Amino acid sequence: MDSSIVKLRGYKDGLHLIVNPKISLSEIELAIQELFAKMNQPITGTSIQIDLRAPTLNPEDSKHLETHLTETYNLVVNSVNIFEESAETPILAAPATHSIATDLAQGQNIDFDNAQVVRQTIRSGQTTRCLSGSVIIYGDVNPGGEVISAGDIVVLGALRGTAHAGANGRLSSVIVAMELVPLQLQIGTYVNRPPTGQKQRGYPEIARVGAEDIIIVEEFIKF
Amino acid sequence: MGKVIVITSGKGGVGKTTSTANIGTALALIGKTVAIIDADVGLRNLDVVMGLESRVVFTSMDVIDKRCELEKALVKDRRVEDLMLLAASQRNRKDDIKPEQMKDICERLKEEYEYVLVDSPAGIEQGFHNAAAGADEAIIITTPDVSAIRDADRIIGLLQNQGIDGINLILNRLSPTLVRKGNMISKNDVLDILNIDLLGIVPEDTGVIASTNRGVPLVHNEGSPGADAYMRIARRITGQNIPIPEMREDNFFSQIINWFSRKN
Repeated sequence: MDSSIVKLRGYKDGLHLIVNPKISLSEIELAIQELFAKMNQPITGTSIQIDLRAPTLNPEDSKHLETHLTETYNLVVNSVNIFEESAETPILAAPATHSIATDLAQGQNIDFDNAQVVRQTIRSGQTTRCLSGSVIIYGDVNPGGEVISAGDIVVLGALRGTAHAGANGRLSSVIVAMELVPLQLQIGTYVNRPPTGQKQRGYPEIARVGAEDIIIVEEFIKF
Repeated sequence: MGKVIVITSGKGGVGKTTSTANIGTALALIGKTVAIIDADVGLRNLDVVMGLESRVVFTSMDVIDKRCELEKALVKDRRVEDLMLLAASQRNRKDDIKPEQMKDICERLKEEYEYVLVDSPAGIEQGFHNAAAGADEAIIITTPDVSAIRDADRIIGLLQNQGIDGINLILNRLSPTLVRKGNMISKNDVLDILNIDLLGIVPEDTGVIASTNRGVPLVHNEGSPGADAYMRIARRITGQNIPIPEMREDNFFSQIINWFSRKN
């Protein structure tokens, strides 16, 4: 998950350096250094935009990051865009105290790379439970339907019901859906729900436990 | 050998009984032989909607308890040939009938009639299981509101578990004006969630209340939007390929246009 601290993406209006989670400036700089070192071509002289997805950076820090990039890597920084976390993630932060009892399956052999495939839509009142691995659903999960998995949950359709990944406490579990408009998401001991009136977004999304122990949702591009 | 179709919804008040009466009557008007069974034991009202209340002598309970023959318990419709009603007992409770007994009645009726429609009670308890016991196919009635759709989804899951494959949907009481204004869930949104075949759309029609109170199913009132919709649904059930028309808004201008187009 280290690679997601900073990302370099090409958009229509040029290169964007996306700074994601809420961590300290020195760690960000280190991550940038690693990122640039890994690249095949030198990036010097390129003009980029910085997308700050970490509102915890204060103005001085972001200014510092800007000059750091200009001086160290000889980059031209066009602009610094700061994104509000709440506007960007569909799932609002719920207090970490909203922890729930885990669906313990201790003593069972759990193989997270082994997935149960469900070839039907999970309708209201139906539950799919897989406490020995992950779950892949070829269909939708409708409101009132429930999916519980020890590992990850992948819905190749719309997730409109409830999903509980990492049901025995594995916090690195993720929930991926082609349309993520759930009633409620649970990962490990964390519970979260989208803001009321959440509309379908038309692209796949992934939910995971982010920094600060909340379930965050972002556009799903790759694992 | 006929076909047993259960008409159900989960939620109450969405139009199961009205739809059963109208589809049954419409099928009989097309010339099919139809038997309709009221499975809402203890809260029967299919006979009231059909206007046959005063003619009910025996009920399905009497048949099960062998107090009378099945043929004797069937009430003939007042207006249409080949339309029979098996009323529910008002004195008993839903638990007094077992799914096997209901299934037996369905099996016997479908030997004589081309279509056997079962009007299911609301809910997912014994009454629903009784109604669905003998069904070959199912028609789900829903109105375009979230609670009805949620319950319909639940019912579809239960029917699929039971192994019933032909599950079709009727979207009842859709108002195109409200959909356009964004105040009502649209047909596509409903189909997106329920993901089953659409058998028909019945528009909101105030004539339904009047026809229910008079005990004359709406389909006799030819030309009303609801009656036309039920006739189309009945034809689709018989296998005719009739497209589902786009709903017209019932405003002043469309009424004028309708009036002119009807004259031609």
